Amino acid sequence: MSTPMLEIKNLHVRVEDQEILRGVDLTLNRGEVHAIMGRNGSGKSTLSYVLAGKEDYEITEGEILFDGQNLLDMEPDERAAAGVFLAFQYPIEIPGVATMTFLKAAMNAQRKARGEAELSTPDFMKAVKEAAGLLEIKQDMLKRPLNVGFSGGEKKRAEILQMALLAPKLCILDETDSGLDIDALKIVSDGVNKLRGPDRTMLVITHYQRLLNYIVPDVVHVFSAGRVVETGDKSLALELEAKGYADFDGENAA
Amino acid sequence: MNDQTPIRLSGAEETLLAQLESVGAHEAAGVLRASGLPTRRVEAYHYTDLRMLLSDVPPLAGPAPASGAPEFDIPGAYRIVVANGEIQNAGTAPAGVAVSTRKGSPLDDRDDVLVRLNTALVGTALDLELTGSVDAVIHIDRRLEGDAAHGASAARISVAPGATATILETISGSEAAHMSNGGTTVTLGEGAKVTHIVVDRLPESATQFGTVDYRLEADSRLVSLVINAGAALARTQVFAEFAGERSHSDFFGLNLVDTDEHRDITLDIRHAVPNTTSTELYKQIARGRGKGVFQGKITVVKDAQKTDAQMMTQGLMLSEEAEILAKPELVIYADDVVCAHGATCGDLDDTSLFYLMSRGIPRAEAETMLIRSFLAELVDGIEAEYVAEALTGLIDSWLAKVPK
Repeated sequence: MSTPMLEIKNLHVRVEDQEILRGVDLTLNRGEVHAIMGRNGSGKSTLSYVLAGKEDYEITEGEILFDGQNLLDMEPDERAAAGVFLAFQYPIEIPGVATMTFLKAAMNAQRKARGEAELSTPDFMKAVKEAAGLLEIKQDMLKRPLNVGFSGGEKKRAEILQMALLAPKLCILDETDSGLDIDALKIVSDGVNKLRGPDRTMLVITHYQRLLNYIVPDVVHVFSAGRVVETGDKSLALELEAKGYADFDGENAA
Repeated sequence: MNDQTPIRLSGAEETLLAQLESVGAHEAAGVLRASGLPTRRVEAYHYTDLRMLLSDVPPLAGPAPASGAPEFDIPGAYRIVVANGEIQNAGTAPAGVAVSTRKGSPLDDRDDVLVRLNTALVGTALDLELTGSVDAVIHIDRRLEGDAAHGASAARISVAPGATATILETISGSEAAHMSNGGTTVTLGEGAKVTHIVVDRLPESATQFGTVDYRLEADSRLVSLVINAGAALARTQVFAEFAGERSHSDFFGLNLVDTDEHRDITLDIRHAVPNTTSTELYKQIARGRGKGVFQGKITVVKDAQKTDAQMMTQGLMLSEEAEILAKPELVIYADDVVCAHGATCGDLDDTSLFYLMSRGIPRAEAETMLIRSFLAELVDGIEAEYVAEALTGLIDSWLAKVPK
């Protein structure tokens, strides 16, 4: 068996005085799509931020191996260059930074970190045009400052555009379905599904089963009070939808 | 303050006094002898205590040796060099530009030491009359050349009704502890449209004082931008009088400060007639132990109903020891106006920084992107392409400089 793409072992994380993650164990193999479901406040988003390297989190115990490397030793930009990508629940608006400038800076920074040559402008333009077309992103949107004036749906599509262009090995989708109507959800899901492949692993965080009708997971984990309390196949999501989270809280408390 | 007891003068004050006497400016000398340079007890100089900050005054400027290359070389610009206060106008003026000289500084008398020094020391000032649509950028290239010198210069710019012009003033010079005192008046006739930019690029060892005084007649439009990015001690004062209805101005300014630098922009504008509008956006970035000061005062007189004035000042502190001081002030005597001011100050936004880094952009590059984005709107208001490019270049070179 090859090295798992991501191994999280007994991860404990605090924010200020509060322990948010209390012993998370997860193993994601190459090519798999895992879903994490859980109610608000269960620690799902914290996990995604810790994976991407956001400051303000104190790791008190445990480790994270990404493709065999110790992820916690790496800066956020190093993680990105190594192949980690987080699609934000709330993408950040940055006035004064043109979307295209940002995309080019990101792609070239990653290429540079991997010792590859910079993209030529025509190659860059071509790549953006292709990826944008699939996500129904209009050129006009790309001319605006990064995420500024984008609707909720546009922001999520822009995240998937970045994901497509950066071609990461591990995609973390943090509540990508929130704020999307059904049409936008379909576009975004199609975009994500196109990126599925044997060398790419995905971690889909959501609290609704709805998204998982479009992005069908191989494995579903239920998160409660900062840890995984149940793991199963896609039918677990349906069960959860029918019964609610309450049943799982009990097991966690026990 | 009517304190009759003579104060003990500092070395800098003694030198200034002797210089004023030497040019026969006995009245200005008398004021200086009685009250000295302003200290923090003088409201307008509260954050820029000149008595403390000004330790040396170089000798009055003599004739200039040959000038160096221009600080900004704007393609197609009509450049007028004023070296050590002497107007060296070699080129042919473009259509709509009449260049001459006048006796004395055009600055109005004010109870302000920098204005007083300028009016006392300027012998001959540049006089520009602009008519019609002046396409070429007018570049007033003020220099202090040779050994450290105290040089005063001034320009009167009169823009005829309906005329349009872009005027860039740069202050630069040889690598010496110069002290520059510049004065400019810009009068916008009815319906005139003017962009006026002042950039300090003196060496760090120098001191730069500048005063700009605008007067806006009816229906005129002004874009004003001041950048302090040269002399370690700098204060640029911007005065404006809205004298005609429906006149509008957008005021911008920037202090870029590093360790051992103190840069001040002081704005004092008066909406003196009804139906005039203005926006004010002043930004400061401080690194190391740098100190930036912005004072902005908007006065709306009793009859100036329907004034709309929106002032914003934003500070970006890139180190623990940086200091940014901001004092926005509205003085409103009319009762039917829309006026507001806001002030923000902080370091780079962590969330934005994380977002950029999470896409693979290294920290230093991500920080530069965010600083550029903080500054973008200052340069966005400048339509003259080459000027905007030069200003962007100036900002980029400051960012690329290793902080002290």
